[in-house]
Amino acid sequence: MIFREVEDPDLVARAGKGDVDAFNVLVSRWEKRIFNYLFRLVGDREAALDLSQEVFLKAYLGLGKLQDGSRFAPWLFRIAHNEAFSLLRRRRFDPGPETEPEPDHSAAALLPVELSLAVEQALARLSPEQREAVLLKIFQGFKFEEMAQVLSCPVSTVKSRLYAALDLLKESLAPINARGAQ
Amino acid sequence: MNCSNFDWKAYVLGETLASERPELESHLAACAACREEVARLGAVMAALAALPQAEPPRRLAFVSDKIFAPGFWGRLWNSAPRLGFASAALVAAAILVHAFTRPAPAPPPSPPAVQLSEQRIQAEVARRMEALLDEKLRQMEARQSRRTAELVAAAAARLERRHQAQLLAVEENLNLLRKRWGVLYTASAELGGTR
Repeated sequence: MIFREVEDPDLVARAGKGDVDAFNVLVSRWEKRIFNYLFRLVGDREAALDLSQEVFLKAYLGLGKLQDGSRFAPWLFRIAHNEAFSLLRRRRFDPGPETEPEPDHSAAALLPVELSLAVEQALARLSPEQREAVLLKIFQGFKFEEMAQVLSCPVSTVKSRLYAALDLLKESLAPINARGAQ
Repeated sequence: MNCSNFDWKAYVLGETLASERPELESHLAACAACREEVARLGAVMAALAALPQAEPPRRLAFVSDKIFAPGFWGRLWNSAPRLGFASAALVAAAILVHAFTRPAPAPPPSPPAVQLSEQRIQAEVARRMEALLDEKLRQMEARQSRRTAELVAAAAARLERRHQAQLLAVEENLNLLRKRWGVLYTASAELGGTR
């Protein structure tokens, strides 16, 4: 069992009163998850790192607006969502050389290369909204209601994006799964 | 009950109510098509869940880090107030230059001498202004060249990194092919041997 000395809502309350160390603990706890969410969404490690920094800066400055400390995770991911889609919108208007998705070689080294690449390619083929739904549900473990809060949309929209993404992934990964079953 | 009434995606995603599960599971036990659908969805979930988390290239700065404050002010500097601040600084500089280079009030008339000294002062002011402008232009050009050189170096470094990443990917794929070839070769040798 993982034992945490102080729960997030307590840290949020302390950080809200100006306790910088409490906020630093929150950064340590959430930085990897926020980085991974942004990295899988924008496909660029350096951009994801810059966005992560921005997310925590905005969270620190806006902590006073968070009334309920137990909503910290959806609130933090809402900020990350805004940052990521702001970047994706800028890229749509100004596509530079940095926009192509970067293969994650550290991940590839830990898995059979073929499966890892296939999953990354299948994710890259989804629309950003569909990919985000998969990231929030499967990689971050949010419930439909929490996802609706993060994305600021109805639960029905969350489900339709996620279900469409699962259908596309099922199609893309079918050959790999078929070979794995042989 | 018709198979299309069951939400297997919600079931696989763990979003089904506990009260609905027994009915879903009894249908699953009886229906091969639904079992196959759940197996396909389960395989997708397993493939996604097996993708490991990426490590951030660097640790994020804490709010207590020294780097944090300059970053924050830097962001402010890069935002809209920057233009306003720069304009105000330019106007202040112009006022200062004007104040220091303005000729002192001339003494009362002694016509030819005054005219001569006024001409000299004007010429001196023009010369100093020109020198000042030249100096500023030179500084701007130097800054621009430095910035261009930095951008070129950064672009070259990015290209190099991407090239290395591509080489790594090619090498991994080659290794995979080599391994497969070895397996095939061994298998065919074994098959040949048994016949």
